[in-house]
Amino acid sequence: MGTFWLAVGVGAFWLALGASSRVDLVGEPILGFAAAETKVTTKQLSPEIEARIQELWPRFPPQNAAKALCIPVLYLAQQQFGMVDDEVVDLVAARLSLPAAHVKGTATFYTMFNKKPVGRFHLQICTNIACQITGAYGVFDRCKQRLAVENHGTTEDGNVTLSEVECLAACGYGPVAQIAERGKPDIPLYFENLDLERIEKILDALAEGRVPVDLGS
Amino acid sequence: MGWFDLKIISRHFDVPQAKDIDYYVEHGGYAAARQAVRMDPAAITTEVKESNLRGRGGAGFPTGIKWGFVPKGAQTVYLVVNADESEPGTFKDRHILFWNPHMLIEGMIIAARALGVKSAYVYMRGEMLREYPVLQTAIDEAYAKGFLGARCFGSDMPLDITIYRGAGAYICGEETALLSSLEGGRGWPRLKPPFPAVKGLWGQPTIVNNVETIANLPWIIEHGGKAFADLGVGRSGGLRIVSVCGHVNRPGVYELPLSVTGRELIEEVCGGIRNGRKVKGVIPGGVSMPLLTEAELDVPFEFDALQTDERIAEVEVQPGVKFDLGGGRTLRTMAGSGGVVVMDDQTDMVSACWRILHFFADESCGQCTPCREGTGWLTKVAKRIDAGQGRPGDVDLMASIADGIAGNTICALGDAAAWPTLAFLTKYRGEFEAKIRSSRFVAEQRAAAEAAASQAVHPGQAGKAVQASKAVQASKAVQQGGVTS
Ligand SMILES: Cc1cc2nc3c(=O)[nH]c(=O)nc-3n(C[C@H](O)[C@H](O)[C@H](O)COP(=O)(O)O)c2cc1C
Ligand code: SF4
Ligand code: FES
Repeated sequence: MGTFWLAVGVGAFWLALGASSRVDLVGEPILGFAAAETKVTTKQLSPEIEARIQELWPRFPPQNAAKALCIPVLYLAQQQFGMVDDEVVDLVAARLSLPAAHVKGTATFYTMFNKKPVGRFHLQICTNIACQITGAYGVFDRCKQRLAVENHGTTEDGNVTLSEVECLAACGYGPVAQIAERGKPDIPLYFENLDLERIEKILDALAEGRVPVDLGS
Repeated sequence: MGWFDLKIISRHFDVPQAKDIDYYVEHGGYAAARQAVRMDPAAITTEVKESNLRGRGGAGFPTGIKWGFVPKGAQTVYLVVNADESEPGTFKDRHILFWNPHMLIEGMIIAARALGVKSAYVYMRGEMLREYPVLQTAIDEAYAKGFLGARCFGSDMPLDITIYRGAGAYICGEETALLSSLEGGRGWPRLKPPFPAVKGLWGQPTIVNNVETIANLPWIIEHGGKAFADLGVGRSGGLRIVSVCGHVNRPGVYELPLSVTGRELIEEVCGGIRNGRKVKGVIPGGVSMPLLTEAELDVPFEFDALQTDERIAEVEVQPGVKFDLGGGRTLRTMAGSGGVVVMDDQTDMVSACWRILHFFADESCGQCTPCREGTGWLTKVAKRIDAGQGRPGDVDLMASIADGIAGNTICALGDAAAWPTLAFLTKYRGEFEAKIRSSRFVAEQRAAAEAAASQAVHPGQAGKAVQASKAVQASKAVQQGGVTS
C-alpha cells in the first residue's frame, strides 16, 4: 500500500535536498559566485539599458533595488541580444553585483526568457482549454506541418520559431496567437478567432517577412 | 431584464477615449481619489469593510478585513496590484487594464491612502504586450497632472506607482510567489502564515489585491460602502465582472449582478450555445475550480452560493466517498476568478481534463513533492486514457493521486489541480471508463488472455496504487524538510 506516493517520496527526497541548497544560494549573495569572478565578455549593455537602470533604481528601496532589477534588466538584455545565454547572464550579474547563480536561476525559471536563439518571428499559439475546445490543436498542427518544425522548433531558414503557449488571457476569442519580431519591441497585437484559413494567411505574411498587422487586434 | 443597466468598471469598455486622462476626468474620474487623499485613512477602511467588497482574484476574501490585518503603526506598507491574470478562461483584468487604466490608478490612490502606502507596484503579466504601454501612459499622465508623485492632488500624501512586468510563469499570480518574483528572483510561493499583510514585500506589511478589486474602490468612495453592499447578495457586495468563453454565441466580458445564475449567464447574457447545441459542463471561475454539469447551473455565480449550494453535487474521491476539505466540509465549487468556460455536448471531457492537468504540471514551481510529482503523473495517466491506452483502474489511480495532492502543498496550485480533476472524475466518470473499455491496452490484454486462456490476467499497477494516497504523509515530511532546511 502507498506504493505510488512512497516511490515519489524517495525520488523527491534527493530533489528536495538539491532544491534546499539552491534556496540558500539565492537568498544570500555571499554564498554565490561573487560578481567580480564572472567571466570576461565582449558584450556590453547598451547605453539605453544603462539609462533605464538609472531611471528604475530609485523605484525600489536602496538595499533591494539591485535584486529587484534582475528581471527588468534581463528583459532589456534579451531585447538587445535576442536571448539570455550564459554570457548575458554574466553581464547582468556583473552590472547588478548579483551572484551569477541567482541571475541564471531567475532567467531559467521564466518562460519568456529565450535560452537559445529564436527565429526572426516567434509565433506563439495558445492551446489551453478555451482555445483547445475551439480548435487550437488543428491550427497548431497546421503550423507544424507547414513550417516543418515541432513545438519550440525554428524553421531551417531561421525565419519562424513556433511555440505552443499557455492561456494568453484572450480566451473569449480563441484560438489565439501572439507574434514577436526579433530586434523590434514586441508586437502589441493579438491574433484572435484563428481557423485554418486565417492561420494560412498569417504564415504567408511571415514567409514574406512581415507581420500581418491587418489581421491583428 | 436590467442586468446591463448599471456599470461600475465596464462603463468605459469599448470607449477608446477613456484611456485619455482628460476624458476620464470630464466623466467624473479622480473625484473619489481627490476626496480620499484628504479623508481619515480609517474612514476609508470602514467604508470598504461596509461595502462587502470581496477579492476578485480568486479566493473572494473580504478586502476590508484583509486591510485590517496590517499591523497598527507599521512604518512601511506596500500595495501590490495583482495584474498577472493567467488563470485559463479569465480575461477580465486585461480588459480593465486596456480600456479603463485610470480607474485602476484611482483605486490605487484610494487604497494607498487607507493603508499609508507611499510606494505601490502593479505586477503585470509579461505577455500583456498590448496593455503595458496603455497603463504606463496612463500613469505618466497622472504624474503630469499631479495626481501621483510627491503631493497627490496637492495634499501631503506622496505616492509612486511602478509597473513590474512578470516574465511568463502562471504561479506568479499566487500572491507570495508574486512577491518573490517582484523581489527579483524565482517565483516561489512561501508558506502562509505569515500572510503578506503582516510580512510581505521585503519583509514589510503588504496588501496584494486583484485589479478588479481595486478598480471598484472609486465607486465605493463616491457612493458609500452601504450602496455597494446593497448591489450585492448576502455577504458579497457590488457587481462582478465575468469573462465567458468556450462554446457560447456571445463570449466576452460582462459586468453583472452577483445574483445571475449560470443558466441565465449562458442563455440570456451570452445568447446560448453555438449551433443550437446543449451544455455539457461549465467551469465557473477559471480552471482551478471544479466544473458544473448542466443540471447544476441554476445557482447564482456568487462566492458563497457556489461553495455551499445543495444543488451542486459534492466531489467524490471514490464512488460514495466524499472529498473532505476538513471538518466534514465537502467540496462543491468556487466563483474563483470569474473565468467561465462553457463546454458543449460534443466536448471530449477526458481530453479537456488532460489539457488542464498538462497546464498545471507545466506551471508547478516544483517546490512540493505532491504537487510536482502528482501533477506530472495525473497528466500522464489522463493522456494515456485520452490516447486510447487507458488501463482498468486508471480512474481510481487518478483520484488517489489527486486526493494525495489536495491539502498537502505550500500554495493552492496543488489544490487547483486536484479539485477540478476530482470533479471531472466524479461528474464524467462514465466518459473516462468508456475510453478505457475501448482502449488498445484492454483489447491487447483481452487478446492475450484469450490466446493463453490458462494464464492469469495481469492485474496492472493500478490496483496497487488505489490506497496510495496515505503515503503522502511521508512525502509531505520530505517536502517540508526541503523547504525549511
Ligand atoms: C496558483 C494561483 C494563481 C493565482 N493567480 C492569480 C492571478 O493571476 N491574479 C489574481 O489576481 N490572483 C491570483 N491568485 C490569487 C492571489 O493569490 C491572491 O489571493 C489575490 O491576488 C488577492 O487579491 P484579492 O483579495 O483582491 O482577490 C492566484 C492564486 C493561486 C493559488
Ligand atoms: S503547490 Fe505546487 S506550485 Fe505551489 S509551491 Fe508547491 S510545488 Fe510550487
Ligand atoms: S485559453 Fe487560450 S487565451 Fe485563454
